[in-house]
Amino acid sequence: MATPITIGAAGGEYMESVVVTKWHVSRGARVCAGDLLAEVETAKAVTEVEAPCDGVLGEICAGEGDEIAVDATLGFLLAEGEDDAGAGGNAGTGGNAGAGGNAGAARDAPPAARPEAEASGGGRTDRVVASPLARRRARAAGLDLRQVTGSGPGGRIKRRDVEAVLARGPRAAGGALPVMLLHGFAADATTWSGLVAELGRGRRLIRPDLPGHGAAAPAGGGFEAVVAPLLEALDAVEAPRLHLVGHSLGGAVALSLAGARPARVASLTLIAPAGLGPEIDGPAVDGLCRATRPESLLPWLRRLVADPRRIGDDYARAAMAGRVEAVRAAQAALADRLFPDGTQALDLRSALAECPLPLRVIWGRDDAILPWRQALAAPGHAALNLLPGVGHMPHVEAPELVARLLRETVTAAEATGVQ
Amino acid sequence: MTANTPSDHDLLEMHRRMVLTRHLEEKLGEMHKAGRTRGPIHRCDGQEAVGVGATAAMAADDYVTTTHRGHAVYLGRGLDPRRVVAEIFGRETGYCGGRGGHMLVGDVETGMMGGNAIVGASIPAATGMALSMQLRGEARAALAVFGDGAAQTGICHESMNIAALWRLPVVFLLEHNAYGLTVHHSAQSSVPDLAVRAAGYGMPGETIDGNDVLAVYGAVEAALQRARRGEGPSLIEARTYRVEGFSTSDMGGYQPDAEIAEWRARDPILLARAALVDRLGAGRVEQCETEARAEMEAAFEAALADPMPAFAPHVASAPYAARPEGGR
Amino acid sequence: MATMRYAEALNLALREEMARDDTIFVFGEDIATYGGVFKVTQGLAEQFGDRVRDTPISEQTLTAMAVTAAMTGSRPVLEIMYADFLPLSLDALVNQASIYHYIWNEQVTMPFVLRTQGGGGVGTGAQHAKSLDAMVAHIPGLKVVAPVTPADARFLLKAAIRDPHPVIFLEHKLLYNLRGEVDEADDAVGEIGRARVAREGRDVTILATSRMVLEAEKAAEELAGEGVSAEVIDLRSLRPLDLDAITASVAKTNHAVVVNEGWRFCGYTAELAATIMDHAFDDLDAPVERVAARDMPIPYAEPLEREVIPGAADIAAAARRALA
Repeated sequence: MATPITIGAAGGEYMESVVVTKWHVSRGARVCAGDLLAEVETAKAVTEVEAPCDGVLGEICAGEGDEIAVDATLGFLLAEGEDDAGAGGNAGTGGNAGAGGNAGAARDAPPAARPEAEASGGGRTDRVVASPLARRRARAAGLDLRQVTGSGPGGRIKRRDVEAVLARGPRAAGGALPVMLLHGFAADATTWSGLVAELGRGRRLIRPDLPGHGAAAPAGGGFEAVVAPLLEALDAVEAPRLHLVGHSLGGAVALSLAGARPARVASLTLIAPAGLGPEIDGPAVDGLCRATRPESLLPWLRRLVADPRRIGDDYARAAMAGRVEAVRAAQAALADRLFPDGTQALDLRSALAECPLPLRVIWGRDDAILPWRQALAAPGHAALNLLPGVGHMPHVEAPELVARLLRETVTAAEATGVQ
Repeated sequence: MTANTPSDHDLLEMHRRMVLTRHLEEKLGEMHKAGRTRGPIHRCDGQEAVGVGATAAMAADDYVTTTHRGHAVYLGRGLDPRRVVAEIFGRETGYCGGRGGHMLVGDVETGMMGGNAIVGASIPAATGMALSMQLRGEARAALAVFGDGAAQTGICHESMNIAALWRLPVVFLLEHNAYGLTVHHSAQSSVPDLAVRAAGYGMPGETIDGNDVLAVYGAVEAALQRARRGEGPSLIEARTYRVEGFSTSDMGGYQPDAEIAEWRARDPILLARAALVDRLGAGRVEQCETEARAEMEAAFEAALADPMPAFAPHVASAPYAARPEGGR
Repeated sequence: MATMRYAEALNLALREEMARDDTIFVFGEDIATYGGVFKVTQGLAEQFGDRVRDTPISEQTLTAMAVTAAMTGSRPVLEIMYADFLPLSLDALVNQASIYHYIWNEQVTMPFVLRTQGGGGVGTGAQHAKSLDAMVAHIPGLKVVAPVTPADARFLLKAAIRDPHPVIFLEHKLLYNLRGEVDEADDAVGEIGRARVAREGRDVTILATSRMVLEAEKAAEELAGEGVSAEVIDLRSLRPLDLDAITASVAKTNHAVVVNEGWRFCGYTAELAATIMDHAFDDLDAPVERVAARDMPIPYAEPLEREVIPGAADIAAAARRALA
C-alpha cells in the first residue's frame, strides 16, 4: 500500500500553500525514513520534506514549481516491489492537529499502511539493499541497516555508509538502538517532526499513533487498552532494545511499557508525562475534544504553549481538518475514562519511583496543562530538566534543547550498557 | 608367443583366450538380462579371433590400443580375468579401480593401453606411442585396433598419413565387423575393401579373414616385425562380424537373420576348435575349453565379491591451487 | 640479466629444457625449418635435430599423439599455431588427455604441453583472433597458464614441461615482441597456480590474464590520476587458480574487476566473478565488474575490432563503476 508524502510540519504554521522548489530524488529511487525527498518554499524559507518511511518513490503528484495546498499530497512512497498503479486514489487530504500542532499530514490510509507499520506489528519492512561487506560490518556492529542511507548506485548501502553512521555514534560498536516516540493526547505522530529534524539521521525512529489518534483505531477501553497495542509494537521491534520517549499521555504509556518490558528498554525520557498527580487542565481537554471549528479550537491550542503567538488561525484551520468527527468522538470517550471530571484517574507515581532505567524527565515551567511540580515524583537517579519559558510542548517549543537532552540520555545509556 | 609359426601350445592358448572371452561375453549377457550390469556393455561375440590373434603376435614391450569393444584384446593380451570383470563391475580391484568401466580398461604393465570409446581415437593413440618409440630409438611397435566405423574419421586419415610419412612403427588393424552401430558398412564407405586405402599412404595393405585366428596372428606378426625394423606402418583389414548387437542396449532389427546365421556358421571358435581337434585331439581341446570357462566363472565369483571403491577427489583436476577438494 | 623479447624467452626455455631432458620433443606446423610463424622455435631444429618436427596440418591427430607419447615416456611440446584451432584439438584434450591420470587410477602421468597463442587487436579476423581460454580452463585434468612477462614466459614454460599433467600454455600474438628482463643465470622453475601482484593498490582489485594484464596496468595508471589506487593481479595460471591471492586482495580492496579477452557469456570472467562470490562474498562492497570481449564474432576492420576487444578504458570504467 502506498504511503502519501505530505508536507507535514514543513508547511509552517501560517501557510495555506507552498511552492515545490526541488525534488531531490526521482521516481523509482529507494529511500529510507527521514531521507530528504523534496524542498518546498514557504513564505519565508525553503524547508525540507522528508520520507515518512522507507520505500521507493512512486508517483509524483506535485512537480517542481507547482503551488499546492499545505495538506496536499506531493507523491507516494511504495513498498519494495509494489506497483504504483492505483496509488493516486489515496491522494487524500486532511490533517490531524490537536496538541501536536502540526497541520496537513494525510492520514486516511488504514493503519497497516502507516509509516510506522513495523511498529504496529504486522507490517513488512522493506528489503534493504546493501553490499555484502556493508551487511557484514553492520552485523558486527549491531547496526540496523534500515538506519543507513545508501550512497551507492541505486541507493545501495556500501561500507562507507555504514562506517559514516558508526562514526557518528560515540558507541559505534554497540550499535545505535532505535527510539520509539509516543505522542500525547489529541495529537498524533506528526507532533515529533520538529524534534526529528533536530535529531538528524542515522538512528531508526519509530513513531506510532496512539489508539484513537491519527490513523490508529480507537482504544475501546481505558488506559490498558491504550497500552496494549503499543506493547505489541514494542515486542515487534527488531532490535535487542530500544529507547522510549513519551509526551503527556504518551509519557504515561512509555512508563507502563518500561514497567512491562524493562529488559527491552534502554532508556526512558518523559516529556510532561501524564499520570503523576491528579491535577490536569480539564477545560483544555474538554475544549480540544469538543471543538468543531478552527475558531473554537484555536484558544485551546494556544493554551498548550507558553507563547500563544506560536499558534495562528491557519494553524488551527489545518489542525481542525484532521479532527473529523470519529476522531473527536474516540478521543472524547478516552478522555472520559482517563481524565474524568478534570482529574487524572491514572496514577503511575509508584511505577516512576521504582523505575530502574536511565531516566530523564523534561517539563516546561509554564506548562498550563499539567503542573511541572509533578516531575518531583521522579526517583533520585532521574535527570530532571525544567525548561523556563516553555509550556506543555517542550519538543515543539524547544526542539533543539529537547533533541540535545535526548541524545545525551541515549548516548549515556548505550555507553554504559545499563539494562 | 612371438615365434613366426605358433607352436601347438601357442595355438591352444589362443583358443583358450577366445573361449575365455566368449564366456565373459555370454556371462555379461546373462547378467545384463538379470539387471546386474551397469551401463551398456559392448560384446565382441564372433570377433574374438581379431583381438586374440593380434595380441598373441605382440612382443612383451609392444603397445596396443583398442575400441569400446575391446574384451578380446584385454584377455588376448593376458590381463587377469578377475581384474577385468572387477573393472566391468566397478570394483576397487579392477584394473582402473572402477573408474574406467568396461570400455576404458587400461593396463600399463602389459602395454594394453586402453579401450577407447571415442570412435577412431585408438588410431592416433597408437600412432603417438609409435612416435615416442621412434624418437627414443626403440625397436618396439604399437598396434591400433579400430573398426570400420572408425575408418571413416578424419583422425584415421591424419594418423595414417603421419605414420606413413614418418615411417612410424605402428600397425593399423581394421577390425571390420560390417556395422557402425546400426549402419551397415555399405552406407558408410564407397569402398567395400578398406585395405585399398593403404596404397594412398604408400604403405602395405591387405584384407584377411578376421575369423581365422591364425590368419590374424600371421598378418599382424609380420606387420609388427616390419614396424620394428623401421619400415613403417601397415594396414590390415580383418573381416569379421558382430553377431550380437551394438551393445546390451541395442534393440536390434537391422542385421538380417540370414547374414547372422551365415557368420555364426563361421564362428571363429568353431573354426579354431576344428583345426585344433585335428591336431591335438578332441579331449585336449575340450579340456582346454572347460578350464577356460571354469576360470571365467571363478573370475566372476571372485570379482563380484570384491569391494566397491571409495571416492576420493582428483587432486590434479582441482580448479584451485592447493585445494584438492575442489571448488567449495 | 638480459633484456629479451617474450618469444626469445620461450625459445630459451625450450632450449634449456630440451638440453636437460632428451625425452622432450617439439612438434607442430612450420616450427622446425621456419622456426615457427612467431619464431618461438627458431634454431631448435639445428640444435636438436629430429626432436623438432614440422608436421602435416592435422591438429586433432597431433594432439592425440602428444597425449599417448606423453603416456609412454616422452615429453612432447606441441605448438598449435592459433588458439582458434583449439577446437580441432578439443577431443584429444577433453576425451583423452584430461582423463587418463584419474580414469586409469593414476597408472600414467601426462607430461604434455600444448603451446598456442590467441587474442586479437591486429586484424587477423574472426578465425585467428579469439581467446578461447574458458574452453580449455573448463576441463578438469588440464592446467592452463598464460604468462605475460618474458621472465614468466620462461619460468612457466619450464614448469609446464616438467609438470606431470597436461598443460595448455596460452600465449598472445601481441606479447611476442614485449621486452623484459630475464635472468639467464637463474635456473628456477615457475610454479603453476601462483598469481603475481603486478601492481599493488588499496581501492579495487583488477584480476587479469595474458595481455589484459598490460591493459589493466594502463587502466590502473589512469585511475591513479583520479586518486584511485588499483591493485592489478596477473593470474598467470587460469587453472588451477590462485584462490588465496584473489581472496587476499579482495579482502583488502573490497572491490573487484575481472578481465579476460575472451567472450563474456559463459566466459572466464564469469568463473572469476563466481569464484569471488563463492569465496569472498562478505568482503565485497560492490558487485564484481566484468570486462570481456563482446559476445559476437571478432570483426576484421580496425574500428570494428576495437569495439569488440576490451582495453584499458573499459577496465578503468569498470573500476569506476565498482567504486561508485
